[in-house]
Formats: sequence, C-alpha cells, structure tokens
Amino acid sequence: MRKKLTVIPERCSGCRVCELVCAISHAGVNNPKKANIRVISLYPHPVIKMPIVCEQCKKPKCREACPTDAIVVTDGVVTILEDRCVSCHACVGACPIGAIFVHEDVETPFKCDMCQGKPKCVSACPKKAILYVPEHTLGQAHRLSSALQYANMQEVEYYEHGVKKKLRYAEIETGGTRGDSQ
Amino acid sequence: MSIKGGYFMKVLHVDLSECKTHVEEVDEEFALKYIGGRGWGARLVWENMKEDTDPLSPENIIVIAPGPLSGLYLPSAGKTSFCSISPITGIYGDSNIGGMFGVELRQAGFDAVVIKGKAPELSYLWIDDDDIQLKSAGKYSDMGSIETEHLLREDIGDETVKVASIGPAGEKLVRMACITADWGRNAGRTGMGAVLGSKNLKAIAIRGTKDLPVADLPRLTRASDKAYRKLSQHNLFEFWQRQGLMSVIDYANTAGIIPTHNFKDTHFEEADMINGDVMELEYKIGDTACFSCPMACGNVNLVKDGKYAGTVIEGPEYETAAMFGSNVGISDFSAILRANYLCDEYGIDTITAGSLISVMIEAYEKDLVTLGELDGMALNWGDDESIMEMIRKIAFREGVGDTLAEGAYGVIKRWPQLAPLVNHVKGLDQSAYDARVAMTMALGYATSDIGAHHARAWPIAKELEMGANWDLNDKADLVIYHQTVRPLFDMLGVCRLPWIELGFDENTYAEFFSATVGIEFTLEELLKLSNDVYNLTRAINIRLGLVRDDDRPPERVFNDPIKTGPHAGKVLSRDEFKEILDIYYQRRGWDQDGIPTDETLKTSALEEAIEYMKPKRKAV
Repeated sequence: MRKKLTVIPERCSGCRVCELVCAISHAGVNNPKKANIRVISLYPHPVIKMPIVCEQCKKPKCREACPTDAIVVTDGVVTILEDRCVSCHACVGACPIGAIFVHEDVETPFKCDMCQGKPKCVSACPKKAILYVPEHTLGQAHRLSSALQYANMQEVEYYEHGVKKKLRYAEIETGGTRGDSQ
Repeated sequence: MSIKGGYFMKVLHVDLSECKTHVEEVDEEFALKYIGGRGWGARLVWENMKEDTDPLSPENIIVIAPGPLSGLYLPSAGKTSFCSISPITGIYGDSNIGGMFGVELRQAGFDAVVIKGKAPELSYLWIDDDDIQLKSAGKYSDMGSIETEHLLREDIGDETVKVASIGPAGEKLVRMACITADWGRNAGRTGMGAVLGSKNLKAIAIRGTKDLPVADLPRLTRASDKAYRKLSQHNLFEFWQRQGLMSVIDYANTAGIIPTHNFKDTHFEEADMINGDVMELEYKIGDTACFSCPMACGNVNLVKDGKYAGTVIEGPEYETAAMFGSNVGISDFSAILRANYLCDEYGIDTITAGSLISVMIEAYEKDLVTLGELDGMALNWGDDESIMEMIRKIAFREGVGDTLAEGAYGVIKRWPQLAPLVNHVKGLDQSAYDARVAMTMALGYATSDIGAHHARAWPIAKELEMGANWDLNDKADLVIYHQTVRPLFDMLGVCRLPWIELGFDENTYAEFFSATVGIEFTLEELLKLSNDVYNLTRAINIRLGLVRDDDRPPERVFNDPIKTGPHAGKVLSRDEFKEILDIYYQRRGWDQDGIPTDETLKTSALEEAIEYMKPKRKAV
C-alpha cells in the first residue's frame, strides 16, 4: 500500500527534532540546516508552526522545471539524480511548497526520500505532528468534520454515581442536508 | 587529552566603542575547566572585572555563551547564558534563554561572544557566519522586542535568522530589563537587557550554517534516541506538553507556597481562575518548544474577548502567572496575559516587575506612600488597569516608574520605610516560591550567587515532602547539591526541566558530554567543575564587596507569619538561619565571613583568587 507523509501543523511545537534526525541520518552531521525537512514558525499573526516536507507529487513541478531531466519518480518517491543535476536550483523555485533545500556545503539540492519507507522524522516527532499514512486516508480529518457539521450536535447532562457528566449525540432529524438553508 | 568535538574553540570579541571585532582561539584547558555557558561567562567576567566597574559603563562586558551541548541532537539543548556584572545587584549576574538563538550562534561557528564598549549610536550586531557587521538600529529605537525581532528578520529577508533584542526598557537602562529572543523567550533576570542598552546595542541577529562538531555522533545519537524514548514514556509527558510550567500554580497553591499579595500570604483563594486548566481550556492556541525539546513547555495564548482581546503571547509560565496573578491579586487570566505581553514587548523581567509593583500596592494599602508619590494613581490589589500602567511607567521610566526602574535598592533608597516589604536578596527580587515554609529555600535564596532566584536551588519541594524536622547539616547539603547540579545544566547549554520534571537521569549528561567532546567524563567530575564555578562567582562577588550580611533571605521570612493555608502562622527562626548559614559556609569551605578559604580556592584551581580575597578577610 502506498503511503504518504503528512503534517498536522496544529500539533507542531517547532522543536526541530525532525530536522536533527533527518540531517544526522542523511547528511551524517549535526546540522539541522542540512535536513530534508524544515520547520517554519510564524508569529504572532498568525501563530503557525509547520514542518515543510516533500509531498512526493505524482506530477511533480520540480521535474517539469528541471532542464537536465535529473528528477525522476521511483516507487512514488521524487528523487534528484546527482549525476545529472547541474545544481541550477530551478526545482527549488518550482516546488509549490518549498520542500527542496539548498546549503552552500552541498552541491546538489536535497529533499525528502521517505527513508526507504521508514521516515525517521515520524518516529522522532515528540508531538506526533508528522504522520506516515496510507494515501487513501488523506483528507480523512476533513471528511470527519464534514460529517460532524452535517449532524446537529446536542449535549445531554446526566449523573453517574453522583458525578455530573456530559454526553454528545447527533440530532440527525433536525440537521439538514448540505447547503440546505432551512 | 584532546578535544574532538563540542567546541569550535572560537570566541568572538566585539568592541563596540572601536567598532572592531576579532576572533580568539580558546585553549583546551579553558574549555574543559569551565565547560561553557555560565562557566565560560563567569571566567571571562572574572578576567575582565575591576572592583569599581559600573555595570552600565562601557568597561563592563557581557558574555553570550551557549554550551558545548547547545544545538545538538539531545533533549532540550537550546540554552544560552548571558553573563555580566548585574546593574540591578551590582554583583555577578547571569540569566539564560531558551529558544533557538544560541543554536544559531553555534552554527555560525562561535562558542561565545564577548561584548564590551559602547556603540556611538543605537546599533545591532549582525553575525552572518564569519561575516560580522555592526549596523544602525535607529529605525528600531523604542520598538518592542517582539516587533523588533519580527521587523529585523523581515529586513534581513531570511526567516531562519535568529534575533535577540531589548525593548524600550533596555534602551532606557531600566535595571530589570531583559533580553528577548524567539518571540518571548527571555533572559529575564539580573538586568542583562540594561547592560545591552548601556552599550547602545539594540539587538543581535545571527545566521549560521555550519555543522556542529561532535566527536562520536553515532554514540551521541544512540544515547539520545534512548533519552527521547524514555522521556516520552513518562506518565506526565503529555501533560507537560499541554500545560508546561502552568501546572505549578495548582501545586504551589495546594502546597501553600504561592506568593499572594506581595508574599504576605501563600494561599490564593482564586488560584483556580489562573491555573493551567483555565489556560488550556480558554486561552491556549498553540504549543511551543525550545530547540530539540520534546517537552514543549511553552504555551501560546490568545485573549479572544474582553478589554485585552487580541493579545497574543508565548507564556505565561508559572513565575509570571504567580507574580502577575496571586501576588498582585489578579484573578483574571486575560489580565495576566496582558501583563506578560507588555513586559515582554517593553523588555522587563516579569518576576522583578511583579514583585516591585506588589510592594507599591502594599505600601499604598498601609499608607507608607502617598497618592502623590504614585503620580496620583491609586494602586490596589487586583486593579489590573493601574498595574498595566505601572508596567508601562517602569519601562519608560515615567514618574514613580523611574524609581521602580532602579530595582529593589532604588525603591528602598527612596522609601526606607518600605525595606521590610521588599522581598529581595542582594537587590534581586525573590522568585514565586515563599521561603517561610522551608529553611532550605531561604538558604538557597540567601546564598544564590545572583540574588533571590530559584534557578540555583529549588529544594522547597523536597523539604515539604520530608517535613521540616531533619538535620540542618542535611539541609545545607541539599542546598549545596542543588547549587552544584542545577548550574551544570547552564554550563552545558541544556535545560534542566527533563531532569526536574520528568525524572530524567542526570548521569546521561555525562554520556552526552563524553560522546560530544571525545573525552570520558563522569557526572561527579562535571559536578566538581560546576562547584568550582560556584567558588569563582563567589570570589567575584567578594571582590565586589559582598559580605556575610548580604547572605540573608527577605526580612518577611523571619517576622511576618503566613496568614492562611496549610502553613498559617509559619515563620523561620533567625537563630536557626544563622546556624545553618554557619554550617553551609563550613561545608562549602568558606570561612565564617563567607569568603572561600585559600585551600578551597586551590582545590578549585583558582589560586589566582587568593590574593584578591586577602584584603577582604578580617584581621584574626
């Protein structure tokens, strides 16, 4: 089953452990700036922390932009072939999410290779903000929230062993179809 | 013995008066003797100091020192120390900062920066790897810290640039001014922001790209993989990510140690309105962590409605919430967030500001100051609007704020009648833990090398757990142990919270350090070096005129019994304090005037300090 890296920015604390483990395993050095993933932190308007990492696009813009055909897709992983790359950085500018990186010590631009199916950033993230999930689950969060929006959520209070509790349930009948103005 | 990693062996020296910089190679003996961070800072301050140096003069230096572990793959390695002679206490001062700033400095290839002199105009230092420039900061004048950071990064045009800056308070030499980096991480204590201000240095911006040297990276990685796994398995791990230090409010209130109404009391009736649960449920919009830290104790909060709507702030943590909550009688969490925001933006220490404002409220309550002396503004417990105005007045040195800006000593100098109300040691206001319930905490505050701060020793929890009736010798030993192990974290450039809060084994740091430098060290050896630095900062302070009488806790600890809560009626005995101080000095190898003996200085390889101590000793 084909899997994909996906990030949940709401969970990210910006600690950059993902950058560290990535750089150590790929570049062999303790240098977060040589990682194939980068955490962007915006503050204060809005407050966002977000790991940027290659989406492994099926029709990659970086490949389109490459003048030397140095970018190929193999087993779902977008790869830059070092021997063909002339390091013109066209791919860096072409990537719609900025997930191809450059460092002055490194000749070829670098990007996520998904660690042969065992992404280190996923297991290392202390906030579980980076997930490695089957492709067909992408968008699941939105599907779930759509379902919840459809239902008219109600709360009922009750007592159990003298302790007040709340139960949430969906009042389907008073809900409405999507787009129904009622 | 040869260092194979951990250091670039380079210190950047900046002379602002001459607009000159040069890089000095560090020798191995220095590097390993003082480790880094506060250790290096203290040593460099010692070498530069003169007995009569005004902390706010160009002659004073400020050292910015991460540690050999800062920036490495291990838990919570984002710490950097700022060390100098403090303008608020007049003795050695240091304060450290989390975030990413020090990591960037290390990536630029420097283990530390030493800044002296005074720039001819308001400037910022731009460290772009090896390219160092001093640039005009005129356009950032009087600008808040967070705004300065934001704009400076935008002007440089690189979102990865790290910035440490001072707010208007630092520029105006407010003695409690802090240094802020990464949007609200503060080197809050001992007035390091005023030292930068006195040098006309508004900010330091850094971009570093270098690999950090590690002797045995696979070994460090193995130890760290294990360390991260261990921390994540702790049963409080997720709770820490959710509430961070805000969870301490409930603990401190239940334990009866939360400062309430200027430390008059230690129990706050409305604590459940300002605790971690309130923050989490009503205000928190994001988590934030320092570099490489899995605990993510930082909380970003937003006030969504009411008069402070729109306030976004990283914080508060416990100290700020207590000092601007219970200690000034505020039970509206949104007002605490506002106070936190104003202090960060203006660039002042929340502990000192909260403490001195509460002093003025109590003074007004007791008719010890007139309305006129408060610029006609009545100050009452919980009056959040007047409290916000006081913060502004301190930061801009307006009216009564000009006196508060001088710190505890300034307040006492103008109003000697307030001396019993000011809870300070050596001019530094006490942190948010009451010492009346624990002799060890009183001793910790009294003998801390920078004044009444909990960073050096926090034995209060242990004493509450043990009960008060244990041997004074053991109590003194506990304080010394704390004062040895806790500063070690500041020397290594890491945070102590994994150890304190999640029971992380301190021996692991010896493994991290050994793997990094390529020389085997045990924890005991590192602790010995930390203890040597404590003797060094003591020697600095003795040279600056510190005497035994300065080693005493705030007066209230002895003469004002706690009003309510589990410890109602409690005060500490002055005689018992004298007794434990005698024991403490003796166990530290200091004479009965608190001066390290010649033998102690020799054991700490500080022979050169002996001649400086001589004139300070009383004729026998």
